[in-house]
Amino acid sequence: MCYRFLASLGALCVLLVAPMPAQTGVPRTPDGHPDLQGTWTNATVTPLERPAALAGKATLTDAEARVLETKSADELAEADGKSEGPLLTATGSAGTGGYNALFLDRGSEFARVDGVKRTSLIIDPPDGKVPRMSADAGRRLAASYTGGSFDSVKDRPLSERCILGFGSTAGPPMLPVLYNNNYQIVQTPDNVLILVEMVHDARIIRMNAQHAAPDVRQWLGDSVGHWDGDTLVVDTTNFTDRTRFRGSTANLHVVERFTRTDAGTILYRATIEDPAAFAKPWTIEYPFVATKGPIYEYACHEGNYSLVDILGGARKKEADAGR
Amino acid sequence: MKTKTFTVAACATLILGAAPAWAHHAFAAEFDAKRPVHLVGVVSKVELINPHAWIHVDVTGPDGKVTSWMVEAGSPNVLLRRGFTKATVAPGTPVVVEGYQSKDGSLRANGKDITLPDGRKLFLGSSGTGAPYDQKK
Repeated sequence: MCYRFLASLGALCVLLVAPMPAQTGVPRTPDGHPDLQGTWTNATVTPLERPAALAGKATLTDAEARVLETKSADELAEADGKSEGPLLTATGSAGTGGYNALFLDRGSEFARVDGVKRTSLIIDPPDGKVPRMSADAGRRLAASYTGGSFDSVKDRPLSERCILGFGSTAGPPMLPVLYNNNYQIVQTPDNVLILVEMVHDARIIRMNAQHAAPDVRQWLGDSVGHWDGDTLVVDTTNFTDRTRFRGSTANLHVVERFTRTDAGTILYRATIEDPAAFAKPWTIEYPFVATKGPIYEYACHEGNYSLVDILGGARKKEADAGR
Repeated sequence: MKTKTFTVAACATLILGAAPAWAHHAFAAEFDAKRPVHLVGVVSKVELINPHAWIHVDVTGPDGKVTSWMVEAGSPNVLLRRGFTKATVAPGTPVVVEGYQSKDGSLRANGKDITLPDGRKLFLGSSGTGAPYDQKK
């Protein structure tokens, strides 16, 4: 009787402590956790926010997606080698031309999750839009687009200075950008490292650790991780007041979830919280897809002649004005 | 059904525009839209470096004087992945460059368009480059 009771209790305990059902078919490290290691890409034409023309339409059928994907590729080819176009304007061309299409690698397809193509990376709020931003956040976001003064190198955007990749490619949250959307993950029981091809940003996630003291601030924040069943959960705080994610403040808090759903996919989900910037927390989701390596080096600072030209251009303008 | 297809197709531009389009730097800050350049010359050196590749072009003027220009292109990592190497545009290759000169007046320009002797536009992905990436498509 007693034995039977203990056996039942044991079974109950197993039920209570058992993590989420273990996913089959995913590689695992010797300690039993899913192995996230490898080279991955998040390149996609799915935009962060759902375009107005697709309002109310969170997903696309494959046929609908193909129409848009083809149109998008055609338009890119059409704009190539010209000095203006929607893409070039967005990258600050203003009539001077910009990257040729061959230098872009922003993906050619919409992001596919649960077998269905998505029209926005944002899944919450359900309208696929960034929640209402505070006036201050709006100003910070606008300032990040215009780029500040040309008086000192330190006034230029972090990406122009080769300190961080642009467009939150390293994040967190990590977003796909125009090119170099490649990542390598290295994993040990104590640390997970995410090497970002753009500007060689390297995120180091300390496992089962406490956050650094509040006065320790880092460009990419302070990331600590733990396993929730088969999902790697990464909590990031301690950003600098110069790290900007769409007008966010130093108090930005990002919780990311990495789930290896099959041999070729990591489902990525990130919740963004910063009450001083956004009216409520919001969540993005998309897949990282296995890709052939290697990650190429990105010695950005050493060859950054553009920064010299940009400041030199401003000095020339001043000299001409004083003449 | 036709109308629906049209609606979906019509908004490709919006998606393109709304994509995370953000470059390493704003081109208008470095180059001058009022100074278009048309360079006919010979490649002297290719720097496949980040954040931008630079192609050096020697241009011989009507007086026989040679000036050396540097032409800015995008990040080389994408090119490497598509099978391009420094040898793809070897020194000595004649090229024609359409672009805009830098604001500081130095002999630097961005390369909106670079044409090879056989008429291929080097950086036009749409023209078919022969690189593995294109052959795969």
